[in-house]
Amino acid sequence: MKNSRHFWRKWGGSMNREILLVRSNLRRARGQSISIAVLILLSAAMLNLWLMLSLDYKQNFDRCHDRLHAGHVTLAVDGDSKEVRPALTRIVEDMRAVDFSMEDSLCMVGSFAYNGGEVNTEMVFLEKEAALTRSVGRAEIIEEGDESSGVYLPMLYKTGDIDIGKTIELKIGSNTMEYTVCGFFNSVMAGSHNCILCELLLTQDQYQELEEKGYALRSTLLSVRIADKSESEDFEAALKSKVTAEFPGARVSSNSYAMVTTSRYISQMICSGIVSAMAFFILLIALVIIASNIVNYIQENMRNLGALKAVGYTSGQLVGSLMLQFLGISLVVAVLGTGISYLLFPYLNTMMISQTGIPYEVRFLPIPCLWTLMILGAAVAVAVWLSSRRIRKIDPILALRQGIQTHNFLKNHVPLEKTGMPLHLALALKNTLSGVRQNVTVCVTMLVLSLVVVFSGLMIENMIVDINPFLYMVVGEMADSCVNVNEGIEEEFLREMEADADVEKVYLFHLMNVGHSGGVELMASLCDDFTKVNNQSICIEGRFPRYDNEVAIAAKYAREKGLKIGDEITLTVGEQKADYLITGFTQLTNNLGKDCLLTREGYEILGDLQNLSFYLNLREGVDLEAFHEKTKERFGGNIHTTIDIQSTISGTASVYVTLLTIIVCAILLLGVVVIAFVLYLLVRTMLNRKKREYGILKALGFTTGQLILQTALSFMPAMILSTVLGLAGSSLIINPLMALFLSGIGIVKCTFLVPGGFIAAAGAGLVLLAFGIACLLSLRIRKIQPCALLAGE
Amino acid sequence: MKKTLLKTESLSKSFSSGGTLQHVLKNIDLELYEGDFTVIMGASGAGKSTLLYALSGMDTPTLGRITFGDQVISDLTPDELAVFRRRHCGFVFQQIYLIDGMSVMDNVLAAGLLADRNKKALAERAAKLFEAVDIPPQTRRKFPSQISGGEAQRAGIVRGLINSPEILYADEPTGALNSQTGLDVLNVLSDFNRRGQSVVMVTHDMRSARRGNRILYLKDGVILGECDLGKYVHGDAERHEKLSAFLAEMGW
Repeated sequence: MKNSRHFWRKWGGSMNREILLVRSNLRRARGQSISIAVLILLSAAMLNLWLMLSLDYKQNFDRCHDRLHAGHVTLAVDGDSKEVRPALTRIVEDMRAVDFSMEDSLCMVGSFAYNGGEVNTEMVFLEKEAALTRSVGRAEIIEEGDESSGVYLPMLYKTGDIDIGKTIELKIGSNTMEYTVCGFFNSVMAGSHNCILCELLLTQDQYQELEEKGYALRSTLLSVRIADKSESEDFEAALKSKVTAEFPGARVSSNSYAMVTTSRYISQMICSGIVSAMAFFILLIALVIIASNIVNYIQENMRNLGALKAVGYTSGQLVGSLMLQFLGISLVVAVLGTGISYLLFPYLNTMMISQTGIPYEVRFLPIPCLWTLMILGAAVAVAVWLSSRRIRKIDPILALRQGIQTHNFLKNHVPLEKTGMPLHLALALKNTLSGVRQNVTVCVTMLVLSLVVVFSGLMIENMIVDINPFLYMVVGEMADSCVNVNEGIEEEFLREMEADADVEKVYLFHLMNVGHSGGVELMASLCDDFTKVNNQSICIEGRFPRYDNEVAIAAKYAREKGLKIGDEITLTVGEQKADYLITGFTQLTNNLGKDCLLTREGYEILGDLQNLSFYLNLREGVDLEAFHEKTKERFGGNIHTTIDIQSTISGTASVYVTLLTIIVCAILLLGVVVIAFVLYLLVRTMLNRKKREYGILKALGFTTGQLILQTALSFMPAMILSTVLGLAGSSLIINPLMALFLSGIGIVKCTFLVPGGFIAAAGAGLVLLAFGIACLLSLRIRKIQPCALLAGE
Repeated sequence: MKKTLLKTESLSKSFSSGGTLQHVLKNIDLELYEGDFTVIMGASGAGKSTLLYALSGMDTPTLGRITFGDQVISDLTPDELAVFRRRHCGFVFQQIYLIDGMSVMDNVLAAGLLADRNKKALAERAAKLFEAVDIPPQTRRKFPSQISGGEAQRAGIVRGLINSPEILYADEPTGALNSQTGLDVLNVLSDFNRRGQSVVMVTHDMRSARRGNRILYLKDGVILGECDLGKYVHGDAERHEKLSAFLAEMGW
């Protein structure tokens, strides 16, 4: 403390003197200070939210993972546990796992109604008590009722329709079971539809009943902890490969820590990206305004600053007073902003829990707070220091003699005798051209807000109004129905479907896993003819595979591994290996960018297909449920599962749609608030600076309305120009920016439709809004009296 | 018989200051005539400028009525007063008040174009007025900070006259100028008055006041007396004595 005081004095400071100057400055510009404070407040709130999301929210997964002693790799393999367990134990021990746990389970692809759609996933049924006492990967009950018989669901699925005491209908394979919901639980590695495996806990009686009915296959659930969790994907690939080799033909499903942690935190990634972008944009605007305010202050107070220097103030003291003023406001307000972020966080948390499925308790986090204060403090200090350096150059004598020079006298912009413009427009344009700082501030604000408008337009068009463009990009292939059949009835099934009047198109589209030699496990989409797939944009570069020795791989994965089109890669299934030529790059997010496309023949070099998934496009108006029933009746037990693809997707997608709708509304509202405050500052500064000029013009006969119009119009050239440029530029960069933003889930190229009409209308709306706000704020001109100009008696 | 341009009846103006009401102008009945150079004199705080604000429509009276021709201007709204000022009044200020960001020419044209005047005719009139006040074309393109105080005030007079106002109001027009420059400005005002321009000037300077043909002496918000000096002629010593005597009588 003593040292800091010594430093302050050495630098030329004396707190009392600086505080006097600060108080005087604040009194003069109370409104501007409040507006800057509001912008800093918003920025601090969002910065702290972003830091909490980045530094702690995702770490909650690790805390939960540790608390439940969860595995880093989870694998479910069909087969009686007595046969499977010894082999699995041997494999896992050979692979030097740190710890593992195995449990009897029942596995089957199943679905249930959720969020207005359907969840379709690999269901892993466990007996409740066994699941709660597993040594690795135990589940924990979050909520439960008095029901003694029924099902416990992952807490992610707790919605109005699914709640304790209510009945849920589960479609398990081609059968349907009804259960009473007894409660909700949390399982880190298998507690959501994003985890490939979805655990469902049954009470003992219900577990036994399901086992007896044989609707789901007896399986073994293995959870493995490894020493280095960063190797979870490699471990999973190796484990799966060994298990597949050990039990050829058995269905093996697995996930890894890396995959689950990424997929469960997509909403965190989206929110955190948007919040951080908005925080830094608003901070940038606030800094431009602070800098502009200081430059204005120096110009308008040149004589006063000269006088202060003349009476002995040093440049350091004068800069110090500005530093104290703006840093003081910023830090106090930043503390309030962090407080506000704690009020907002619970709402954000509620929204995100519907996707992460892991409960998060909002609590005070000192480190994000400190970072927020440091970032804001440092940014404001740099802005103040850079913009106030001019004070050092002020010569007291020159300043006292010359006073202010607020205009560029080198050029008369828009000479009235030559211009053909209407008078008020010409005078507004003069104002515009003489206010460089005003234009810079307007341009920065409008460029930022243009990006916000384009982003919002993109989200509204491609996710909220019509979600298909987004789904095509992230889901990949979509059709009306997916029917999984026994391999033996393939020919008959295809013949019948092609003859069925309800069916428009049928084609094989089956998902399998293959290993990449020297890489990780890839999810392979198999098709007998890729020209039949509905989404031809899956392949974003090169072409789909046509021959059995060709493969198209995920662009993200190819980048990571340095693979190019034309390279050859080795794929494996169990002990089988084959080389494939890369013909194209794909973009799918099913497996977070670890995917590939193979022809059916290409896959069959590596392994056999036990069952086959066919995608069907149905004719307009066909009742999908009735069609599925009809198909099941026709083929009986040879149909494993039927999936309503659209419904499945919409169930999950609605979570994102809701989240993005709220985010888009919030950022648009924030945009309006920002533009209002920026204009408030600019108009207020202009009115203060030009008070005398307005008085003169009023005395000459200009009406208040004419002066308001001139003032508002003076913002328009910079506003229109920057909005047009901003919208055009943002429209060009928004797709690459979105790709960068979504790169975490495997997106490398976005082809979202940029809604030109909406963006043009929103841009025009933005300009009109700004014009309206500028007019409203300029109403203060009414208070300027021309008689105040005349010399006092 | 002179034509009455403006007439006040029981004109009063009060200001509230620190909770007390200050009566600055009290029941003033006054007529301004066409072609006159009326000078309002008085000590500081007498209400000279307040009277000028009220007469010119820059401010509204607390009580009373002001009529310009057939128009009662004391009843007008602020915007109607603005239109009234641009059509019928010209102003010359003590602090000149040219707009810093506009060239001298633009300062004049901004006022002229406001009254919806034809631009060509306006430019011709501006050129004539600039010539009359001896401001050369190169000076007209300069900014106010680049010209002398005298030039600026003469440009201010051009601005005040650009719309051919019925009355040119001048508030201490020489107050911010040195004596020689002030003299030039007074010569310009006298010259325009000789050509028929009605002028109302507020001053507390005897040398300036001598230019008027009608002197009103204001004290404590009341017109205490009026003196008719007749038309100004350069070197008229008799006027000086007459004004001195009048002012002495008023207690100056």
